Amino acid sequence: MFAALTTRLWFLQVLAAEQFRNEAKDNAVRVVEVPAPRGVIRDINGTQLVNNKLRLVLTVNRQELGDDAERVLMELSRLLNIPADELGARLDDALKRYYVFTPVPLVVGVSRNVALFVKEHHDSLPGVDVLELPVRDYPLGSVGAHVLGYLGQISKEKLKDPGFAGYKPGDLVGISGVEGAYEHDLAGTPGLTKYRVNSLGQNLGQIGELRPQPGNDVVLTIDADVQELAENSLRAGIMHARTVYDSSSGADLNANAGAAVVLDPETGAIQAMASFPSFDPSLFTRSMSSREYKRRFGEARSSPLLNRVIAGQYPPGSTYKPFVAASALQRGIVTTDRYYPCPGSWTAPYNESDPSATQYVFNNWTPASLGSMNIATALAKSCDTIFYPMGYRYWDMYYVNPEEQAHGVTSHEPLQRDLGYFGFGSPTRVDLPYEDDGRVPDAEWKRTTHEAYPDSFPEGQWFPGDDILMTIGQGDTLVTPLQLATAYGAIEDGGKVCVPHVLDHVESPDDTLVRRYRPNCRRSVHIDPRYLRYIRDGLTGTVSTPGATATAAFSGFPFGEVSVAGKTGTAQVPPKQDYSWFAAMTDGHGEKHVVVVLVEQGGHGATTAAPIARNIIEGLYGLPLTQFTDIAGTD
Amino acid sequence: MDLAAGRIVASERRAIRHVDPVLIAAAIGLAVIGLLAIYSATHQSLAAVGLDPGRFVKRQLTFLAVALIVLMLAASFDYRLLKVYAGIVYVSSLVLLVLVRTPIGTSVKGAQRWFELFGFQLAPSEVAKLALIAMLAAFLSEVRGELTVQDVFRTAALAAVPALLVFLQPDLGSSIVFAAILVGVLVVAGARARYLGLLALTAVVLIVAGFQVGLVREYQIERLRAFLDPASVSEDALHNREQAEIAIGSGGLMGVGYLKGSQTNLDFVPEQHTDFVFTVVGEEFGFAGAVVLLSLYGLLLWRALRVAMLSRDPFGTYLAAGIASMLALQMFVNVGMNIGIMPITGIPLPFVSYGGSSLLLNFAAVGLLLNVHMRRFV
Repeated sequence: MFAALTTRLWFLQVLAAEQFRNEAKDNAVRVVEVPAPRGVIRDINGTQLVNNKLRLVLTVNRQELGDDAERVLMELSRLLNIPADELGARLDDALKRYYVFTPVPLVVGVSRNVALFVKEHHDSLPGVDVLELPVRDYPLGSVGAHVLGYLGQISKEKLKDPGFAGYKPGDLVGISGVEGAYEHDLAGTPGLTKYRVNSLGQNLGQIGELRPQPGNDVVLTIDADVQELAENSLRAGIMHARTVYDSSSGADLNANAGAAVVLDPETGAIQAMASFPSFDPSLFTRSMSSREYKRRFGEARSSPLLNRVIAGQYPPGSTYKPFVAASALQRGIVTTDRYYPCPGSWTAPYNESDPSATQYVFNNWTPASLGSMNIATALAKSCDTIFYPMGYRYWDMYYVNPEEQAHGVTSHEPLQRDLGYFGFGSPTRVDLPYEDDGRVPDAEWKRTTHEAYPDSFPEGQWFPGDDILMTIGQGDTLVTPLQLATAYGAIEDGGKVCVPHVLDHVESPDDTLVRRYRPNCRRSVHIDPRYLRYIRDGLTGTVSTPGATATAAFSGFPFGEVSVAGKTGTAQVPPKQDYSWFAAMTDGHGEKHVVVVLVEQGGHGATTAAPIARNIIEGLYGLPLTQFTDIAGTD
Repeated sequence: MDLAAGRIVASERRAIRHVDPVLIAAAIGLAVIGLLAIYSATHQSLAAVGLDPGRFVKRQLTFLAVALIVLMLAASFDYRLLKVYAGIVYVSSLVLLVLVRTPIGTSVKGAQRWFELFGFQLAPSEVAKLALIAMLAAFLSEVRGELTVQDVFRTAALAAVPALLVFLQPDLGSSIVFAAILVGVLVVAGARARYLGLLALTAVVLIVAGFQVGLVREYQIERLRAFLDPASVSEDALHNREQAEIAIGSGGLMGVGYLKGSQTNLDFVPEQHTDFVFTVVGEEFGFAGAVVLLSLYGLLLWRALRVAMLSRDPFGTYLAAGIASMLALQMFVNVGMNIGIMPITGIPLPFVSYGGSSLLLNFAAVGLLLNVHMRRFV
């Protein structure tokens, strides 16, 4: 009997002692995570765009609330002066960012009195707490909201992602914008505090500490002044557009939304990225009811959360013509020394194989004949009827002769390939999440789309009209404003396409450089730089030669001081009013910029987008800003 | 009468000289270890709720004082008187066991085991243990010649009645102690192995039948299962066992030091001042401390068996043997469940566990051992 007991004791206490000692230690020590201060986001001049501020946050834990939910919410409603049903709806959060077992931040920035009341009435307010927490703060308000993005609790999908190893349910992560793109730089490493606890989990005092590693600071290429300028110009231009009568729709312009982007063509650095309407990012520091979400961010409000610069896809209209011209020049479809007629309409050539086929007529933007002109002038005056025949020539090339067919060649689509060189039809790989691809349609795309959606997309065959409409940026062509800006940067920079970016560098909390964004520019456009220079020079005519599309919009502009080459665009998006585009390349004071402006339902390019772009350019070069006035519609 | 009284007084004078100091020292030594362990196990959690950290240890100290008086009382009268009154004592203890099942008794954790008396709890099962020992000793000492199979079964019947009553409380642990007392006494009385085998077989059949008709409570089955198949049972039962093993295992060879055990101080072992008090010794004093504790029991049992051998009459021998079996089994089952080689049953560690009834009865038992020992020459 004694032998049995002693043997067992020997085993437990001598042979296996180490294991049990560790288990005892684990039992008695609780480790509490100390969140790391999130990094600050600054602009290129060091202005803080996002930092952290200690705020009193009222949180509610839904699990602890239990059956008392209704009573507690009524009490909170009286305390906070927010309707109880609104508070209840906030618990469910429109974006579903919060887990059932984690406290939901209902109100950020409650008063000390509210905090005291909650602390004193802990028993009657189960699950309710007021904590002083570091909350994202935006010193410039909504400036740059789309670029900066916001935070939310990590999604289940991300938790499974090996890139988010170490994250736990309930952790805050950047969901969009820079907060999302540079999450791993900004987040830092949480610290740990070790406490001794008894079996009830009561804290018996701290026994160790691992300090949190604060997140790194992210410094952007964004210039807060330029950003504010772009946002203000966009807003003011849109407000003015809403007073402009649109003859084609018989109503004032809706001008419901817009986008503007400013970048450095030589590096791809984005200096400003504005999307209208915008939002107050500080709203996302708390939970939000579906009703409030819909009221603030619904489609009726033109989806303010959408960053239209990277996630808005539009037909580019005539802003596409320079790239078509570049391709046509390179492929000898047109030349720089010839003059081409610009009639009021152009009829597609007679189809010999099918005499009964309808003859398609393609109109210029103005019914009047503008006479003969070279390609440069055709760009400045945006003559559609000079571009349509180019499209027909591309259609001719599309056909494959039997010999080629025998070698497996199915089609020739040189225009699509050349447009692809400029970056159209694929993401720019900007360092921001949720970028759209745009679209360069080709025969293959049309066929597969038709096969996938035979009802909504009844035609699967590639027609001459597809090539013809592509030359004026219509048909099924779609671009994002950032793709367009990048492509104009390539014209400006002699065929080099730069990956656009908002990151300048990352630095540690003690201001030492962690890494710098290395501009990623490649000479991917296989077009003779002479043609690109020709086009760039031709585009200066848009804003300065008499009768060109944007001359009126730029009247009085000091071109001697700052050279501007631009292109208007009026994209048709039936049944909506026309979308207004303007793309510009500027050079002055030793600085080059590309500015692209889009206004949804803003009418002609010269009417709305061009004056906004002019305002931005004036601001960029420190020129006095011109007032918005009514400008007659040209393409 | 006068003469008889004078003779008794005279023999008392002589008897006191034959007291066994080793036996007393071993019992008191165990009780002192108990006091230390109880304080260690309870002071933190009492202080945490704002109570006097010495609350339990002071109560146990009071019990110990009373227990020493009980020891002296139990040693003072001639133990042969007990043989005369054994029947009355035995029947009284059975009455108490029945009464505790009525609303007079106090229910704790679904088991009715105590009477509340002046703020103290009296467990009749403890009284019944000594009563049974006395009864069996008295019965067997009257048997002439070799034990017949009828004698064995009659003896078993005497033990079965209280065993069944405590089993219904339900207190499986105490039932096992009754069985151990029976076996111990029968072996010393020279029962044939055949008869013992037959008895065991009968017991097994009856126990299996008991399981079938649902006499055994859910938690008892679960505790038993926790021992036989740790993976299959509820977390609570496993928890007891795991935490106890962690506590003892983390003590190592020399222990982590008095009042320094994290398992003990932070309340991780349930019931630690009562059934699991051995874990305090194991954690804070280590293998060395545990061996010292076991040695004290060894000493105690050696002296008890010595008393059985030295007794001048069979009643004294059987009495001592019954007490030795009772203490040995309780010690073995309790330490065994603390270190995970026995199932968890509610058996306290004699002299060490917190609890007045157990302490008083164990000291009373030691008193009886002394009694038999002292009067071996008269």
